[in-house]
Amino acid sequence: MNFFTLAAKNLQRRRGRTMLTVIGVAIAISVLFSLLALNSGYEKELSKEVNSLGVHILAVPKGCPYEAASLIMHGGVIPKYLSDSDYQNVSTIAGVELASPMLLHQFMKKDEKTGVSTPHIIYGINMEETRKLKPWWTVEGRFFSDNEKGVMLVGRGLADKENLSVGQVLPVGPKKENFTIVGILDRTGDQDDQFHFFPLKEAQRVFNKQGMITTIAVKVRDVSRIAAVSQEMEKIPDIQVVTMTQIMGTIMNLAGSARSLLLTVIAIALIISAFGIINTLLMSVNERTREFGMMKAIGASGLDIARMVLAETVFITLLGGILGTVAAVVGSSIIESFVKGMLPYSPGGSLISYSPQLVGFALAFSVLLGLVCGIYPAVKSSRLSPMEAIRGGFE
Amino acid sequence: MSGIIEAKGLCKVYLRGREEIQALRNVDFSVEAGEFISIIGPSGSGKTALLNMFGCLDTPSSGSLRLNGIEIAGLKERDLVKLRRENIGFVFQQFYLMPTLTARENIELPLLFSKKSGSKKRIDEVLQMVGLADRGDHLPGQLSGGEMQRVAIGRAIINDPKIILADEPTGNLDSVTSEMIFGLFSELNKRGLTLVVVTHNLDLARRAEKMYSLRDGRIVSCEERACAEVV
Ligand SMILES: Nc1ncnc2c1ncn2[C@@H]1O[C@H](COP(=O)(O)OP(=O)(O)OP(=O)(O)O)[C@@H](O)[C@H]1O
Ligand SMILES: [Mg+2]
Repeated sequence: MNFFTLAAKNLQRRRGRTMLTVIGVAIAISVLFSLLALNSGYEKELSKEVNSLGVHILAVPKGCPYEAASLIMHGGVIPKYLSDSDYQNVSTIAGVELASPMLLHQFMKKDEKTGVSTPHIIYGINMEETRKLKPWWTVEGRFFSDNEKGVMLVGRGLADKENLSVGQVLPVGPKKENFTIVGILDRTGDQDDQFHFFPLKEAQRVFNKQGMITTIAVKVRDVSRIAAVSQEMEKIPDIQVVTMTQIMGTIMNLAGSARSLLLTVIAIALIISAFGIINTLLMSVNERTREFGMMKAIGASGLDIARMVLAETVFITLLGGILGTVAAVVGSSIIESFVKGMLPYSPGGSLISYSPQLVGFALAFSVLLGLVCGIYPAVKSSRLSPMEAIRGGFE
Repeated sequence: MSGIIEAKGLCKVYLRGREEIQALRNVDFSVEAGEFISIIGPSGSGKTALLNMFGCLDTPSSGSLRLNGIEIAGLKERDLVKLRRENIGFVFQQFYLMPTLTARENIELPLLFSKKSGSKKRIDEVLQMVGLADRGDHLPGQLSGGEMQRVAIGRAIINDPKIILADEPTGNLDSVTSEMIFGLFSELNKRGLTLVVVTHNLDLARRAEKMYSLRDGRIVSCEERACAEVV
């Protein structure tokens, strides 16, 4: 027998009350755990997504807010365009390794079976440059070359969803021109899986956007010169510059305010459950005044009593912590969809990422919670004079 | 030779509001090692106060109290705990067993506080001694009053104390069971333990070697048992 098993047995006496307290702790810890898991997952997914662009700076039309830049990452369309001369100007700036113009076009496509319309995104790109930006691209079939006509690539995700295969011909644009799928992009794990890719000139022609560019993706030669290069780019009148670090920062800021709201909720939940624990403990300590007196009479010191009370609290909170962590893991998909709804921007992948460290932290935190909550009841019972305690006086 | 318990001019004053209550007035008391002492007296006469003092649960207001040669007046809590652990075993009227612990675990409890390792053998031995060899795994709720008190006595002796202090140990028991408990006390006494037992039962009190009477915080008489024990 040790203090912990003794505590466990003591807690069995008021099972209902103990379980309620444990559940209170479990709820608080599971929310805390989910939030932290979500936080690390969010950052990870977001930086993965931003890096998958293979781009350091985006040039977008002036007046286009930063959020629009994040829209671009998901294929949103902005009704403003840059021109070919903007592109020429950008590519001549010193320090620019590669500038690649892109045109985005979005159209709705009705599913024949279900009748539901979903947005489809077409990226007009220069293949040669894009492959330098995204060296990890591989393809089933072949890549197209920039001067080809009537060809396209599709992402693997899209191909799977719509049963597309290499060689298939699809009607595109207002005139229903025939485009052949020459290749299916192997799965990249990011949004590229969902897009159509056309040669830039073809995209501009088919959708009547000759000479128009949605964005220019820039890769710099030296990462430390991103700021200098973007300053140069700002001098071009039509252009607004967005660096990837800015995008990340903006999104993280937006996410941050949503997060602090959640943190407040958690803090309140934790405080409430802390008072619940303290209350439970004080009740059970008051009820057992005589018992503590007896323990002192049979050789317990004040420290022993305090240790026993603390062991009981830690037992409650640790149990709550374990339960809460398990619940958070089990219910992670529910929590994820709930939180995704609250965030201003959510990356595609799974947002919740657990690590052993995080589990360790949650459990350590629940132990800490127990120690903090247990201090007052523990000190109070350890100070009991044994004789008063046996007579049944407390206070 | 000085006794294992030596009280001289022992006084205890309690404050109840502004009122001073003289629980013990100038008590001289001496117990030799190995003696079996009983204390009787009307309610409120100070029996519990005296016993608690012997057990280092309380300190004298004035006077001197030596336990095993050590003066306890003015000792710090830490030293009182140590003295109590090493010398005293307590038995209460209400047993005070932990309801969630088995008989065996209740007996083991003081070892947890004294940080001694309790071998299973030692606990079996104590269970045997108090006549509960086959009830070790029962919870207090499954035991009779007499059995519960025997568990409490087992708990009092597990740490090998020199003195057993019992405050009305048979107050909640019927006469037959009380007899058995006193029988157990006599047995422990024969093994060399010193016993101080407070009781309201005059017949039982007379079975001790010495019987002190307390009234209004004073010792009013001491009766020694007629030497020849009727066997
Ligand atoms: N902590 C205390 N505060 C105030 N008065 C006390 C306290 N402890 C004991 N007394 C008083 O001291 C006197 C002696 O009490 P004590 O408990 O020793 O009596 P007792 O002989 O054990 O009586 P009983 O046979 O009823 O147990 C009583 O008047 C009691 O009210
Ligand atoms: Mg009493």
